[in-house]
Amino acid sequence: MLKSIKSFLIPLFGLIFLSESISLCAKDNVVRLTYWPSSNPEEIELATSIVDEWNRTHPYIQVDMQPLPASQSSEEVLFTAVAAKTTPDICSNIWPGIVPEFALANALVALDKFKDFWDVAFLRTTKNILESFISKNGHIYQMPWKGNPIMMEYNVRLLRDAGIFKPPRTYAEFMNAAKELTRDTDGDGTIDQWIGIINVNPVWWHRFFDFYSLYIAASRGRTLFENGKVDFNNEYAKDVFRFLQEGFKKKYFPMGTLQGNQFLLEHVAIQFVGPWDIGFLEKNKPENFEYDFAPLPVPEGTPEPILTYSDPKNIVIFSTTKHPEEAWEFVKFLISKENDLQLLKITYQMPFRKDLDIDPAFKKYFKENPKTLKFAKQISYTRGTDNIPQLKEIFDAIAQAFEYCCVYGQQTPEDAIKNATEICKQIIER
Amino acid sequence: MKKMNKYENNRVGYLMGLPYIIFFLLFVAYPLIFSFILVFHKWDIIGPMNFVGFVNFSHLLHDSLFWKSLGNTLIFLAIHIPLQIIIALVIANILNQKIVARGFFRAAFFLPVVISGVVVTMIWQQLYSQETGLFNMLLSKISLPKIPWLISTKLAMPSIAIMATWKNVGLYIVLFLAGLQNVPVSLYEAADLDGATGVQKFLHITIPMINPTIIMVLILSTLGGFSLFIEPYVMTGGGPMNSTLSCVLYIYKQAFYFNHMGYAATLGFAVAFIIMIVVIIQRRLFETEIYT
Repeated sequence: MLKSIKSFLIPLFGLIFLSESISLCAKDNVVRLTYWPSSNPEEIELATSIVDEWNRTHPYIQVDMQPLPASQSSEEVLFTAVAAKTTPDICSNIWPGIVPEFALANALVALDKFKDFWDVAFLRTTKNILESFISKNGHIYQMPWKGNPIMMEYNVRLLRDAGIFKPPRTYAEFMNAAKELTRDTDGDGTIDQWIGIINVNPVWWHRFFDFYSLYIAASRGRTLFENGKVDFNNEYAKDVFRFLQEGFKKKYFPMGTLQGNQFLLEHVAIQFVGPWDIGFLEKNKPENFEYDFAPLPVPEGTPEPILTYSDPKNIVIFSTTKHPEEAWEFVKFLISKENDLQLLKITYQMPFRKDLDIDPAFKKYFKENPKTLKFAKQISYTRGTDNIPQLKEIFDAIAQAFEYCCVYGQQTPEDAIKNATEICKQIIER
Repeated sequence: MKKMNKYENNRVGYLMGLPYIIFFLLFVAYPLIFSFILVFHKWDIIGPMNFVGFVNFSHLLHDSLFWKSLGNTLIFLAIHIPLQIIIALVIANILNQKIVARGFFRAAFFLPVVISGVVVTMIWQQLYSQETGLFNMLLSKISLPKIPWLISTKLAMPSIAIMATWKNVGLYIVLFLAGLQNVPVSLYEAADLDGATGVQKFLHITIPMINPTIIMVLILSTLGGFSLFIEPYVMTGGGPMNSTLSCVLYIYKQAFYFNHMGYAATLGFAVAFIIMIVVIIQRRLFETEIYT
């Protein structure tokens, strides 16, 4: 009996061992990559769809998608990951402001070392945009992926009811509209409708969506630095501060934090946002809620076209990867025309793709989503941020000046901008 | 049974203490030593550490924002600690009497202590909201002007202190209750025979007898007050105009916004030193011997 059991079990274990060995050998041939996209629901949906398709068509390069771990900002998570050397192979939610620091720490793969990088990049993206992401050492560590041009979103009905039939273009027109739109609608003696809303929290990155976007618009595309030197003590910056200060002083912008989305609740007629808001409004807007987009307001005499901040998010390959070539293949797949169309459809965000608004591949989408077409046209007229490692401190200094001058009126725009530039110079020299 | 010799006995003792020793080495000793090393370095987490000597100390002495944050924290402590001790003592005294639903009130006052600080802060942020907050809406209903709770440089820190008191007072009520229950009844009976009034009994028996509890509450409140972080971080971001920028929020910004790890460690040691001085002063001023 024992002998017969032995004669059965030995070949069985042998078979199991053999099949496991074959399976392990097969597994060894499969390259596994980890990919971190942004953790908002739309981008997780997009990443899931892209990764599923990739894994289906690339059985020997399998990608594991993990949304960026939750935190106050993506940058904090990525910094921790770089420090602990737990970075993924690929990440697609990289704010370019963080890239110089990562590049200095040798945390990123220089993408231009891939033979076909420039061919792939030039085929998709304009020379201007690519050049803006080249690092000081001449290498490029990020693949431009998507931008969210900041534009003026307005409530058509509220403007129409106030007798305003086209969105304000200049600061003067904005202030005239503000007089009509900021009011007490229920007669209880307190203002409950404002022309706009500006986040008063002195957190550095909030200033991308008000001061910095308006500064790019007013200056026709200047950034904060010129040839590596602080360069925003100029009339454009002062004009923007003067405009925002007047808005707060005359109570056209509410102070403090308000509950809920004030634009959706129709308590606010105008806000400065990116195309991501279309997805939110389309899901949540009540019936007869009319909204549209226009370029940001600018000082009198600013010629067309009006530029803005692009709020870019790019793709990087981390140097911890054991499979850079395979990771690069996946990056190319991420930025393919098909996936750019998915990016538009699912997230309403704009791929950094040249001729986006006239490319036949996207024509049908823009016809069905005319509001997004305005962003597609705007994406060619955008600027990012400077390639400066101390950018967060620079924007913190601006946020402090913004609070003192614009929100609380404790400084003149001239003094606030002058002081902010002095502080920025000290930060750079430190 | 075999008797363990002295060394075997020691080995068992060390083995039993090993989990704590490992915990201490990993989570107390190592971070402390590493932070001390950081004090003399410039380090951005991801790059190499550069020795800078006493540069971080020199920067600290000239950093007006740090001194402002220290001033803000002291303002917070000056409002928060007396408010907390007085309210906790009064409520503990009431809850020490035989009142209706005493158990319910004891639990109710303790409830905010166990709720997440972030949740409480977010609720109070909405309550304090200038335009749509409940407090200002109630004031408007009775025709009183709105109060700029969080947007006035003068009121923002007191508003945070009120909120922090509401959140933490339950813990101190429990501590005072324990202290009050340890006061011998015979002392009050003797005072009654001598014809002492309620106020006299409170001032001359209760307060001296619970002095160790008061000192403990004082020190815990001071430590808690110096650790002020969640409230300004969530509610105001340190504004308006840095009037709610606390020491710990400033350290956090230096460390995790700007990655100045060496400077943040220097600030951390400076704040720890200041806390030590404040606690020594408090003990010198308020600590008395019982039964002297």
